[in-house]
Amino acid sequence: MTGKHPAKPQVVPVSPGKIPEAVSARLDNGIPVYMIEAGTEDVMRIDFTFDAGQAMENIPLLSSTVNMMLTEGSENYTSSKLNRILDFHGAFYSQYSEKDRAGIVIFFMSRHTGKILELAREMLFMPVFPETEFRALMKKRLHWYFVNRDKVANLAMDEFYESIFGKDHPYGRQVVHNDFNNLDTGLLKDFHSWFYSPDKLAIIISGKIHKDTVSLLNRYFGSFRPQGGRTPDKRAGLRQSDVRKVSIEKKGAVQTAIRIGSPSISKLHPDYPGVKVVDVILGGYFNSRLMRNIREEKGLTYGIHSIITSLILSGFKFISTEVSKKSTQNAIDEIYKEIEILQRVPVEREELEIVRNYMLGEMVRMFDGPFALAESFRSVWDFGLDNSYYYRLAGKIKSIEPDEITALAKTYYRIDDLYQVTAG
Amino acid sequence: MINYNRFTLDNGLRILVHEDSSTTLAAMNILYDVGSRDEDPEATGMAHLFEHLMFGGTALIPKFDKHLLIAGGENNAFTNTDITNYYITLPSENFETAFWLESDRMNLLDFSQRNLDVQKSVVIEEFNQRYLNQPYGDAMLILRPLAYKVHPYRWPAIGMNTGHISNVTLDRVKDFFFTNYAPNNAILTLTGNIRTDKAVSMAKKWFGQIEKRNVKKRKLPAEPVQTEARRLEVERDVPVDALYKVWHTGPRTGKDFYTLDLITDILAGGESGRLNTKLVRQKKLFSEINAYITSDIDPGLLILHGKLMKGVDIQHAEEAVTGVVDELKTKYPSAPEMEKVKNKFESSYVFANTSILNKAINLSFYELIGNTGLINDEVEHYRKITRDMVIEAAGRYFESCNCSTLYYRTAGAIK
Repeated sequence: MTGKHPAKPQVVPVSPGKIPEAVSARLDNGIPVYMIEAGTEDVMRIDFTFDAGQAMENIPLLSSTVNMMLTEGSENYTSSKLNRILDFHGAFYSQYSEKDRAGIVIFFMSRHTGKILELAREMLFMPVFPETEFRALMKKRLHWYFVNRDKVANLAMDEFYESIFGKDHPYGRQVVHNDFNNLDTGLLKDFHSWFYSPDKLAIIISGKIHKDTVSLLNRYFGSFRPQGGRTPDKRAGLRQSDVRKVSIEKKGAVQTAIRIGSPSISKLHPDYPGVKVVDVILGGYFNSRLMRNIREEKGLTYGIHSIITSLILSGFKFISTEVSKKSTQNAIDEIYKEIEILQRVPVEREELEIVRNYMLGEMVRMFDGPFALAESFRSVWDFGLDNSYYYRLAGKIKSIEPDEITALAKTYYRIDDLYQVTAG
Repeated sequence: MINYNRFTLDNGLRILVHEDSSTTLAAMNILYDVGSRDEDPEATGMAHLFEHLMFGGTALIPKFDKHLLIAGGENNAFTNTDITNYYITLPSENFETAFWLESDRMNLLDFSQRNLDVQKSVVIEEFNQRYLNQPYGDAMLILRPLAYKVHPYRWPAIGMNTGHISNVTLDRVKDFFFTNYAPNNAILTLTGNIRTDKAVSMAKKWFGQIEKRNVKKRKLPAEPVQTEARRLEVERDVPVDALYKVWHTGPRTGKDFYTLDLITDILAGGESGRLNTKLVRQKKLFSEINAYITSDIDPGLLILHGKLMKGVDIQHAEEAVTGVVDELKTKYPSAPEMEKVKNKFESSYVFANTSILNKAINLSFYELIGNTGLINDEVEHYRKITRDMVIEAAGRYFESCNCSTLYYRTAGAIK
């Protein structure tokens, strides 16, 4: 450089500011609709979300199979016709069945709202679960299963869930080969009529919302009545294992996948925002302690991350990484060492400052644009919370002190409470 | 319509600015015109390894991440065969921090042996994690040298093997920096909640003082025309057989690029794509199948790959694939099918451009290939494709002598 380097620019403190609120409405039959108007392009995202996740299933694969079969044929459309029309309108959809909820998210150009809603009704409320498509799907899924179980990351993850939630609960149960033979279309139809029901549905819309959306929703969804559902005992079987360490041998693996973590509090708990800060310091961002130690100082891995997640019945947190086989023990020791330091040594001001700003910057991104807004909305709405949770989180990020971090790390990251799973 | 302005600094740095006031964020993208195709065949993986080193700090700013994080920013980078691309998003009031950081590391990196050693080992673990320790992870490592005999696309951006990565020396790193990282070899794109005049004056202030460098002129060997079908069979510890077929295509700016892209959408775009409909749903030969073209600047590949259902004979599966592909050579796609793939392209284009970061990355790339206006015209290129163009291109490219085929088989399958 020829001249003098200019002075370092001033930095303004970052803050998420005011979060746009969703406008809510109800269809004639009571289905709640939440609308977030945002963005510049004439596109919409619509999430039909049902209380129909894995927590509702009494047989493995039931929730996910019902969800995947929604697009396999309905009263008025075959699967191929349905997909052809959706593709023709340039729509993208993704089906999901999570631990708690299941549904379909559709992205489309606002001008096609009417057509898309008509097709959504077919998929969600009028699927016929044809036998042939069902058998073909199960066969395909079994193949995907074989491929997935060939990855150490999946082996470790599945085992971890079983350890922390138990083999008798849908949160923890691992899918085995034989589960693919235990479903039939009768079971799917029952599950569908119980859980894909208007009283279990919420509709979340964002984007440049077509002006007739609510009346169109009423036309297509407003007259369905609940069929009388079932309320399973969702907690039955939820228990953590007594065995804290599991090691899975995979022949020929080059790397070992490591998962270390435990069940945890959810967003509903007052300590959650503080624990989120602890999680970020430990492994929740690129500059985290685990990344700096295990990747940037020791070069043992391509990446190491920690995450804390809320579920309706519980929550969990874990650290995940893949390291070469010979470095496994070294990496594990360093993970525990970092946790122990977090419990013992107060965080330095500078590091805390970085974490605060990183987290506040993330919050700005969480509310930037129609799609991010919709996701952020659902991730509190699921828990009966609203944007006040985010304001509380932002407040905690700004105000948390080093001694509180140490205390939270001691309470929520007790080494004796942690489960350790390796696969490789 | 995406409006943008274009400027060039005296040192050759090209700058594009697009204002979008619907967000509170700003994005900065820096594209360096260097990728794995510019590497020495004996020392591959250098461009990508170098991308890792770019986060190791400079004498003036030893901790790149720290300052960006304090400004509420987020950043990442990727390297492919053609380019190395860095990007940052942050609240627009702190945008200048991005200029400070990116101009500083374009100016001069801190080349430490320690940083090099650590990042070599990180990249080797990346190689292991993504290519060696995943079922089918090494397929492209095998296919590239089958399809390319001469052109540097014969190795992937991560490198030909981990040995090349561990052999990199600090001298080579320095040399790589000074011959490739330069204002006159970069494109800086700024998008989001910013004002063009302010963005340009910041660019001048921070990047304007970096001197032009002697960038190595690119002289790559052209890949000779393939004249006979190539086939390879490998055996791995994987649960099911997989089939890979790749055909040579033209360059990114060539006249057939959009037609071939549209052909892959006919074949594999969405659930209603032909391969999925015919070979997964109807004939049940594959559990999944996909096709796409690489967007390589030099003549690239059309790649088709699928995983077989258990018990299906791989030759039989390949014949079925050939049947679907060959149909394109003789039979017009229906008008609704053409309309469908064009609509789908248009909508993915609209969705992609809802993000200021995507817009920044796309603008940079279009500028690099010499046609920045594509950010607005690309949909039109697809709209203009006729059914005759599809038949013509299918006939010309889907020839067996232009194709390399890989049978990726489960252990014990090869007799």
